[in-house]
Order: sequence, then structure tokens, then C-alpha cells
Amino acid sequence: MIEFNSATKVYRSLLGRSVTAVEEFSLQVAEGEVLGIAGPNGAGKSTLISLLLGYLRPTGGSVTIEGRDPRSYVEKNGIGYLSELVTINPNWTAESALARFATLAAIPPADKRGRVEAVIAQLGLEEHRAKKVKALSKGNLQRLGLAQSLLRDEKVVILDEPTHGLDPVWTQKFRDIVDGLRRPGRTILIASHNLDELQRVADRVAIIDKGRLQRLVQTGYDQTAETAGTYRMAVVSGAEKMKEIFPAAVDIGGGEFDIPITNLAELNAAIAKAIAAGVMLASFVPSRSVLEQQFREAVGEKN
Amino acid sequence: MSDNLRRYALWQMRDFGRDRAIALLIIGLALGFTFVSPVKMMQVQITETSAKQLIMVSLQQIVYICAFVALNGIVSNDRKQGYYRFLFSKPVSIPAYYAQQFVIYFVGFMIVMAALLGLFAFLVYPLSPVAPLTYCAIVYLSLGGIAFFISSLFRFDWPILAGVFLGSALLHTIWQFSDGWRKLVIAALPPLNKFSSMLGTLLDKGTVETNDLLWLLGYSLLFFLAGLFVLRRRPIA
Repeated sequence: MIEFNSATKVYRSLLGRSVTAVEEFSLQVAEGEVLGIAGPNGAGKSTLISLLLGYLRPTGGSVTIEGRDPRSYVEKNGIGYLSELVTINPNWTAESALARFATLAAIPPADKRGRVEAVIAQLGLEEHRAKKVKALSKGNLQRLGLAQSLLRDEKVVILDEPTHGLDPVWTQKFRDIVDGLRRPGRTILIASHNLDELQRVADRVAIIDKGRLQRLVQTGYDQTAETAGTYRMAVVSGAEKMKEIFPAAVDIGGGEFDIPITNLAELNAAIAKAIAAGVMLASFVPSRSVLEQQFREAVGEKN
Repeated sequence: MSDNLRRYALWQMRDFGRDRAIALLIIGLALGFTFVSPVKMMQVQITETSAKQLIMVSLQQIVYICAFVALNGIVSNDRKQGYYRFLFSKPVSIPAYYAQQFVIYFVGFMIVMAALLGLFAFLVYPLSPVAPLTYCAIVYLSLGGIAFFISSLFRFDWPILAGVFLGSALLHTIWQFSDGWRKLVIAALPPLNKFSSMLGTLLDKGTVETNDLLWLLGYSLLFFLAGLFVLRRRPIA
């Protein structure tokens, strides 16, 4: 569906200075997939997205959507897009902004009213519909941006920092919205700094840094899932047995222990062993998620 | 032109009304007042001849400034403000969007000019608006292509646009009788010098010099097409 083939983007100034924003980036995103894009500030996430929308052209390699040049794809089909900066004319009202975007999105006039009402209801914008964009709070503006990206049933949806500025309630609702967007023919790209968010909603996460693809992480768990890392175990009783069962465990106090684990089998055996020894477990979680672990390894602790 | 873009024309017209038409009306009224009020204060009888002279003097300034205000930022504003991000994620061609905007702004500009001339007819002298409106259309269309091209190339287009217009006017004045390379330079500059004689001929005879008109509109059309080419080939971000 989406293909980056050694895509490179170099910005050149008139004085001859150049900055490489994306370098030799290759990745294929399948139909029906939700791909997360993670990376530190300045890693090249927004440049990648601009390449996908045809707002920028690669200086090397290629970017295609369904085999076509991105701009030509967008002009024919449109893309559901939420930009990191929600830039909508501040003098428009929330409702008129949606009506405009619905017109441009080629929603038939007979359906336009209904679609606008549907996204207003979906994003909880009912009481803000008559407000000018400049009067909206950051969270409401973000919801308006998200609403316009959902107006039409697009095959490609790109969300750049979608939960930025959302409160916890709407962050949770956002997950439901993404779950609702999933369908076999649709490809969704989500760029975010929020690794926990990506872990929950994405099938794979591309970790990029310095314009390069550093790692591609599968977020689901299976037999072969990479589980190496430190797990934190909280125990209600039997704490005295922990050192005996897990010689490498570090007691961090309050009935909690940090335990280094190398693979999934070892992880399950350790839990079974602890329970069999009469340890009452309260929780057992990675002290860093798999994605966070991979991210830190890929981009370094400095980020 | 796609159906969705055609339907969007009403929104573009609304934007023109809010963002530019009011400013144009204020500028037109303020400048018009400075020309008309001294004549009114002298309490002389205004005849058709003096009304035409008044239009000759005032309209040249007003139309030039109003066209500049109407046209500057026609493309670059969306780039500067970042509005392009949502607009062009929709199934719409960028050159077609701005070509339509150019036409819509032309219609809006003509409505404002018609309103100003209507006021002149009501308050000063009932002169036929056909010739002055024709002049307004020629000025907008002649400056429009150049403004469109510059706006499609540069984010901060208005200083460049002002420099090109003023520089052209200045060089046409000081080098008008020059030979050699100076003659070549002014031949390549926007032929804005042709405006001055045009309004007089229009008001007196109701016609314009065809060669001048073709030269002005052809020059502008060339730049308009170049602007469309830039929008097609050059990324908007």
C-alpha cells in the first residue's frame, strides 16, 4: 500500500548548507496495518509524513502509495490527515471549518450535513461548534483536527501526534477511535512520542532517528516476542523467598523486586516457580515496555 | 475543475469578503475622500468633464493599491500560516485551487470597485461605471499574473511584489527614452507604464489600444501560467 524505497530528503539552503532530514529510508506498510512511527524530536517523522502527502518531494529514492506518486494519490483519493500543528484559519467556526473540509473532501452535498454532525458528536464538539477556532482550547482544537481527518472514509489515515494536548479521558477515547478505524483495506500511520500509546494501538512501530529507520518493532506478543529486560514484581507475601528463587532480583523496597529476564519461557517459569513457592504476587510488569526498551536501545539514552 | 472544488468557491468568496473586501472598501473610501473632498469644499458645479477628471486622478491610485491588497498573499498566506496542511490532504489539485481563488478574488475585487464607483455616482456625479470598471478589470488582470507567480514562489511575497511594481514604474519613468541595455531592461519589466494612458482613452473614447491591452494581459498570463507550473512542480511545504 505504502512504500518508501531508499527515500532521502535533504534540505538545502541558498547558502549551500544542507541538512539531511530523511536518509535511505525503506519500509513497506501493508493494507489493514496500523504502523506507529516513533523517534526523538528532529528524527524526521514530520518530514516522512510530508513526503507521504506530497507536500515535499524526496531528493533521492521514492515514496509511493498504491504504486502512485503521493501527490497524485492524494489529489485523486484524499488522505485522512491530522497534522502535529492544527493550523486552521482562526476566524472560522469549528462547524464551518468542518463544513469546508467536508466540501473539499468531496462528500456529496446530500451527505455533508450528516457527516459533519457525526464527527462533531464523535469528538464531543457539540458545545464548541459555534466557537471560532481561535477561541478553542488546545484539547478542543486537537479534537477538531482529528474530526476533520475522520470526515471521509479514507483508505489512508495519517495521524501526527494525535493525543497531543488531549486530556486522559480523550486519550482513552482516541484509542477507541483508532480501534474503530481499523479495517482490512485501510492503512493507518500514527507518529507519536507516546510509546505507551503506540504499543497499544499499532501493529508495528518504526523507530527512526537522524532520518534513518533504526528498528521495526512488532508490538504484539507471541512465542518469539523479544522480552529481554527488567521486570518489576510486587509481592504481598513470601518476599523472603524471592532472593532464593531469583538470585539476580534486586529488592527495591515496599515488596517490589526488579528481576532481569532474557526470554518468554524463562519469564513464565519464574512466575510458576514463585507461585509454587508460596509467593503471593500482586503484579508483574516490565519496568520498561518492550517498545520503550527497543526505543532506548535504538536511539540511545541521551534522547 | 472538480465538483468539490467548484462547490468550495462559495467558501473562498466568503473568505475574500471577510479578509479583503472590507479592507478594500476602507482603503477605497479613504483615498477617494482625499480626492473628492477638496473639490466638494470648493462648492463648484461638477460637470461630466470634471467628474471624469476626478475619476482619472483618483482611480489610478485607488485601483493600483486595491489590486495590490487584493492579490498579495493569494498563495503564500496558506503556506505561511500552515493552512495548506489540511486543505491539500483532501482530494484537490493545488494549482486548480489557487487558479479558482484568483478568479474568485477577481470577482470580489470587481464587486468592491463597482460599489465604490456606485458611491461616486451617488455622491459626486452619475457617471457610467462601464469604462472605469473595465479599467479596474484590466489593472487586476495585468498585475494579477505577476502577483500570482511571486506569491507561488515566495512566502513573504508582498515586499517583493511592492518592489517589482514600484521598481517597474520607476524605471519605466526614468529610462523611458533610453537606448541600449536600459531599453532591454524596461522591455522585460512589467509594462505598468501602459496604464496611465489607458484610463484616459477608456473614459474619452470607450476603447483601449489593442496592442497595449494584449501586451499587458499577455505578460500577466505568462506569469500566471508560470505560477501554476510552480505550484504543480514545487512542493508546497
